[in-house]
Amino acid sequence: MLNQSPSDTLDRLVGLLPQSQTYAARREREKVVFATQGSEDGLFDPALPGLSVEERLYVALYACLLTPSPDLAAEYESRLRKLGANLQTILLIQKSDIQGIGNARIEAILNFTHTLITKPISADKMALSALPKAGLSTPEVVTLAQLISFVSYQVRLAAGLRAMKALELAS
Amino acid sequence: MSAPIHINGFTNDTLGWKAWLDVVQLAQATPAQMSVLEESHPKAKESDYYLFLVHQPEILRQRSLAFNAIMYAPGGLSRAERELASTVVSKINGCVYCASVHAQRFEQLAKRQDVIEQVFEEPHGAGTSDRERAIVDFSIELTLNPDHVNASSIQKLKDAGLQNSEILDLIHSIAIFAWANRLMLNLGEPIFPSV
Repeated sequence: MLNQSPSDTLDRLVGLLPQSQTYAARREREKVVFATQGSEDGLFDPALPGLSVEERLYVALYACLLTPSPDLAAEYESRLRKLGANLQTILLIQKSDIQGIGNARIEAILNFTHTLITKPISADKMALSALPKAGLSTPEVVTLAQLISFVSYQVRLAAGLRAMKALELAS
Repeated sequence: MSAPIHINGFTNDTLGWKAWLDVVQLAQATPAQMSVLEESHPKAKESDYYLFLVHQPEILRQRSLAFNAIMYAPGGLSRAERELASTVVSKINGCVYCASVHAQRFEQLAKRQDVIEQVFEEPHGAGTSDRERAIVDFSIELTLNPDHVNASSIQKLKDAGLQNSEILDLIHSIAIFAWANRLMLNLGEPIFPSV
C-alpha cells in the first residue's frame, strides 16, 4: 500500500498505487517514467542558471490554469507558497491579470506562456523576440520554451493516466 | 518514394528548419553539450533545432530520452500508429514541419498514406478503420481538451481493440507532441524546398 514512489509527481498526483493496472502499465515503460520525472527535476533545478525557480513556478502555474489542469495548478501553487513566493503575484496570475504584476520581465515571460499554451500556431518570430527585448538571454529563452512545452506534455499525461485509472476503478 | 502530398499547407515533403535566435556554434560547444547532441539524434550536430536547444544541455538530454523511449520502444502500440497520433497532433496544433516528418515515418512503416491525406484534409473523422478512427479521435480530444478526457474516452479505445499497454503508448505519443510542436512552432520556422 505504501510502496507508491513518493518522488514521482504523476503517480502522486493521479494517485496511482502499485496494485493498479495503470501503475503496472507505466512500469512497462520505465524509461519514459524516469525521463518525465528527470525533465521536471531538471527544469526546476535551483542550480539551473537563468530564470529563477520562482519565475519558473509562475510559468507552470499559469500554464496549468490556462489549460486548464486544476490538479497540477494546485501542485505548482503549493510549491510557490512553500518557496515563499509573492502572494499578490500568485493571486494576479490566478485572475489572469498579468499587467497588474507590474514587472516587465515577468509580463513578457507570462505573455509568451499564454500564447504557447492557448494558441501555439500564433506565436511567430515577433512573439519570440519580445523575450530578448525584455532582457532574457538565449539560454533563458530555451529554458522558458522547454518549460512551457514540458507542462503541456505533463498535463496531458496526467489527464490520460487519470482517465485510465477512472476506467479501471469503474470496471 | 511516396507520392507528394500538398493539402491545406501541409505536406510530406522533406523540410528544413531554422532557428529565430542564435544557435550554439559547434566549435564553441562544451563537452557536455557535445555528448547530449550525440545521444539526441544522428544528425543533431547539423540541425538548428538541436543546436538551439543544447543551450540547456541537461534539459535537452532528458527530453530526448523521453522522446526516443516514447517513439521507438519495441512492443505495445505499433510504431506506425504512434506516428499517426503524432501527425494528427501536429496537424491540430498547426506544426507543418512536425507533420511532414511524421507523415513520412508513417508511410515508411505502414506502406500507405491514405489516412495521412485524410488527416491533412480534415482530422475529425479521419481513419481507414474503426481502430484508426478511435486513435485519431482520442488524439484530437487529448490535444484540445485534456480536461474532458475521462473513463469513457478510454473505453472507446478498448472497444476499438486497444490493450492497456497500447493506450498508455498512445497517451505518451500524443503528449510528447504537445511538447515537440511548441518548440518547433515557436522557436523557428520550416524551410520549404525551392521549386
